[in-house]
Amino acid sequence: MAIEIENQEKDGDCLIKVTGEVDLYTSPELRGAILKADPQGGTSLGVDLSKVTYMDSSGVATLVEGLKTAGQKRVEFVLVSPSPPVMKVLQLARLDTVFEIRDTM
Amino acid sequence: MAKQEIRVELLSDPRLLKAIRGLVREYTAGLGVPGDQVAEVVLAVDEACANAVRHSYNLKKDGQIELRLCAEPGWLEIVLRDQGIPAPVERLRRKATSAPDKETLTPGGLGVQLMYRVFDDVEFQPGETQGNCVTMRLRLSG
Repeated sequence: MAIEIENQEKDGDCLIKVTGEVDLYTSPELRGAILKADPQGGTSLGVDLSKVTYMDSSGVATLVEGLKTAGQKRVEFVLVSPSPPVMKVLQLARLDTVFEIRDTM
Repeated sequence: MAKQEIRVELLSDPRLLKAIRGLVREYTAGLGVPGDQVAEVVLAVDEACANAVRHSYNLKKDGQIELRLCAEPGWLEIVLRDQGIPAPVERLRRKATSAPDKETLTPGGLGVQLMYRVFDDVEFQPGETQGNCVTMRLRLSG
């Protein structure tokens, strides 16, 4: 599979773990997972990007959408350990400072 | 260095983007371009192809896309052509801002800006009634 997505929940917080490549073909799957995530009683929605080997602007757009919808749900949106390819595309897009980025949740 | 050229024709299926990235990665690395820059070239060409799939052909999978990779001493030139809907000129302009532009993340907009940031020269030629052509050029050192 080009992409694998795993949903985890802990104390009401959601963590979406992504493995593989995020491009026009695979980003709809990530988008769906982010939009479906609904932290119940928790305060955070995290996306673990440590195992992402490639991301393009469709992946970035998915993360931006996640940030916006999390804000509407009054939930914190966190990028957890973005891999170098993810940081690179965020930097090129001048969006590396708009996200909350952490090593762990 | 003799002129090195590869031409491929592909259908506008997003599944194929990964294979095209592999081709562009190997070709560019083979020219001796440093790894970081190879990754940027791969990204920018992927953005151009994705725009053809998504916007020129509205995600229909039977559109024709033509990719030409060409290297001569001092220059890498990559040309992408499609026969789909011509892109509106407003979407193709280089934005001068250096500020975070989350609010202006228009569909396809970010991809075009990434292409401008990676390549030394990017020229878009939307057709009058049909098709698009984009030429991306990168100076090669050594």
